[in-house]
Amino acid sequence: MIGIPTALLLGTILLLLLLFVAARGSMDARESSSRSDVPLLDDEAVIDPCPPEFVARIFSPRDWEFVSETKSPQLEKLFRRERKLVALAWVHQTSLAVRRIMREHTQAARHSHDLQFATESKLVLLYAELMFLCGMLFLAIQSAGPERVRGLAVYAGTLSQRLAQAQHDLKAITAGREFHSAS
Amino acid sequence: MLSQLVSWSCIALESVLLFRGLRSKLGSRYPAFYTYISFVLFQDLLCYFAFRWAPHLLYTYIYWITEFLCILLSCGIVLEVYRVGLSAYPGTARITRKVLGLVFVVALAKALVSAANDPRWWLEATAKDVAGTLRAVQGVAIVALVSLFLFYAIPFGRNLRGILVGYGLFVCWTVICLTLSSSVNDNVHAVLKNLYQSSYPVFLIFWLVHLWSYQTNPASEVEVPLEREYERIAAATRRRLQDARGQLAKVVGS
Repeated sequence: MIGIPTALLLGTILLLLLLFVAARGSMDARESSSRSDVPLLDDEAVIDPCPPEFVARIFSPRDWEFVSETKSPQLEKLFRRERKLVALAWVHQTSLAVRRIMREHTQAARHSHDLQFATESKLVLLYAELMFLCGMLFLAIQSAGPERVRGLAVYAGTLSQRLAQAQHDLKAITAGREFHSAS
Repeated sequence: MLSQLVSWSCIALESVLLFRGLRSKLGSRYPAFYTYISFVLFQDLLCYFAFRWAPHLLYTYIYWITEFLCILLSCGIVLEVYRVGLSAYPGTARITRKVLGLVFVVALAKALVSAANDPRWWLEATAKDVAGTLRAVQGVAIVALVSLFLFYAIPFGRNLRGILVGYGLFVCWTVICLTLSSSVNDNVHAVLKNLYQSSYPVFLIFWLVHLWSYQTNPASEVEVPLEREYERIAAATRRRLQDARGQLAKVVGS
């Protein structure tokens, strides 16, 4: 009843997922044997999201126009390189923040007795969209420069704030319900 | 010669797996998995004797009837992974129930649509086709289950991981072999059949390594800060309410 391409696709997805599970198992075993009491800085670091006006400024063409007016190729080159690095750092920071938000959410959600399927699905879709956007932004900044992807960057920034807000609201609602049911 | 060697090695490995399961009391922790292995052992012995002493047609009937019972019993393994793996995680368990329900509804709908488009399938489908389809549905269910386990970072114990990875790989291999075998020529079909039969001991060895002794499932190591925080607030509020009640009682009493 299922065709060869479907069977191969299903087999490949299943194989990759199971290999990932097996690899994670052996990594966990290694980690637990060499676990240190001191937490890693990267794991514990809380990254504050950039304010929206800062995002708009990084990707704004206005600074680029200002530098162009100086007619200094060296300055232009330096500005382009620096601005690209800042933009890439912002994408990296946003993607880290999004992953941290989702990690916090999944850690809290898996214990919750009152999880809504629709809300979870929306959060997962939002997360997938953001991760896809971060990937796209990374490629676009590398190839076209930050000033050409301003719209996409502002949209990604807004979405990441929406995700953070949604997670925060969900946390408050879930905790409120559990507090009421416990008392 | 090769098939006899494979048959006897399977019987031996299944017996050792069951013996270790009883010895380490894993049988009571994973009843569906050990019921499945017991049934496979029974099937192997029955088919071996039927192949040697019964007519070929009877052997074919016995093989396919026990094979379908095996597939039905193996659904219990998927449910057992869900039950054991998510017992400490009610939130993920709730989402998993919905996702698995959705998977079965979609699979049923697809089967009905395909059957409606091609009514001859019900008449012409071989036992192999049906078995392949059932295993494919199981494969999709395992994909959904594993994705959720990974997404919610559910920790696995060595035993549960062995059952899940071993059984998942077995389903994956079975789906590919059964699908390919119905659309290749006789020579490739024979090679595929031998390959399929001789691969089963590999899965049994994998299970034996992971289920040699009992190892606890890692409990929820990280207590959720949110819940901890609210437990603290709830305790403080209860204490304040008690104090307030006490004060009120004093005021009313005086």
